[in-house]
This record gives sequence, structure tokens and C-alpha cells, in this order.
Amino acid sequence: MEGETTYWQENLRLIFISLVIWFVVSFGLGILLVEQLNEFRLGGYKLGFWFAQQGSIYTFVALVFWYSAKMNALDKKYKVEES
Amino acid sequence: MNKHTKLALLVAPFLILGGYIASDLYIENEAEKTRVFQLEPSGNCDVINKSCILKSGEFEVNIYDEEGITTVNSTFPLDTATLFLVSENEEVTVYPLGMIDSAYYWKSSTALRQLASTQGAQYKLRLIANIKGGQYISEFTTRTM
Repeated sequence: MEGETTYWQENLRLIFISLVIWFVVSFGLGILLVEQLNEFRLGGYKLGFWFAQQGSIYTFVALVFWYSAKMNALDKKYKVEES
Repeated sequence: MNKHTKLALLVAPFLILGGYIASDLYIENEAEKTRVFQLEPSGNCDVINKSCILKSGEFEVNIYDEEGITTVNSTFPLDTATLFLVSENEEVTVYPLGMIDSAYYWKSSTALRQLASTQGAQYKLRLIANIKGGQYISEFTTRTM
């Protein structure tokens, strides 16, 4: 029972971290800090614009696989992985 | 593909959609706020000799006078434009400009040519240009070369 609670808490922590990254990249870098980031350039594009158009999508895709890998590791740790 | 990858792939589109809606609401809310920008003259401003450009970022305004008709030409369409002639003792004459054909050109008959047509003459002007989501203001001096 205690193991299930810890597993669930670690799962929630991972979801929270993922949501924070999602918010920072999409809303923070793409909108709130867009003017400051536009001072820099990446591949010819203004950085804030790039984050809003492409960077956030790349991060979301990476986040999907990162979350999955972390969850698999968590499953292994608590010995609840799929057979 | 295990259950975690499936779940993450299932949730991701909803987060993207949520982000899109939240961003749209935020941007719309920001656009409705009136922001004030200062236009600065680019080099010497000589309205009489058609050499007066005011700039603020990518927004530019060209002001020139032809036979007593003062015209404002902007890089973005304007909602309204008002020109003020300010005398030496700070008396202000207001000229609400009228649109010519498109929202890029605004004009009015003004007394500027009578006041500053001689070489070396100078006169203070103010401009307020309203554009959706912003107000561009400037106080500048025209010097006739």
C-alpha cells in the first residue's frame, strides 16, 4: 500500500514537471517573453517567434518520450512494468 | 508502444489545444489594451521640402506639405490622425486629418507653409496617430532647409 502511494506521488511529480515545462515553453517563451527572446536569432528567425512556431512543438514531442521513459523507469523501480 | 507512451500521445493534443486557446485569449486581451509608442524623427525633419520621416520600430510616418496641404503617409493603415501646430508661446492649433483614398494617407489644409516656408525657419509640431491596439505620438520640429 505504501509502495502504491509513493509510486503515485512520484507519478504526480513527473506529471507536474511535464506541465511546468509545457507551460514555460509554450506560454512563457512563445508569448510572455517573446519580445526579449526576439533580440536573439536562431537559424535566421527571431528566437521568440521560433519558439512560438516550432520550438514549442519540438519540445512537446520530446516531452512525450521523456515522460514515457521516466514512467517506464518508475514502473521498473516499483516492479509494476508491463509483462 | 507501452501504456505510458499511448497516454502521453493521447494527452498531448489536448494540451496543445489548451495552449492554443489560452494563447489566443491572452493575445486578444493584450491587443485590446491601448499602448502608447513614441515616434522619433529620422534625421532632419523638413516637412516643407518633403523630407520628414518619423519612426518607431517598423512603423514609419512620412509627413510632407504640398501647396498648404499637409499629408501624413504611414507604413500601416491608421484609424485616425491628428496634427498639432505649436507656436513659440505654446499655443496649439489642432488639425484633425482626413483620409485620402486609403487609411495609409491622411491630409488637411494647414498654416504650416505660411509659418515655416522660408529657409532656416522652424516650427514645432505634434502628431497623434491611432492604430488598432496602439497610439503613436510625437513632438518634433520641422526645419526648412
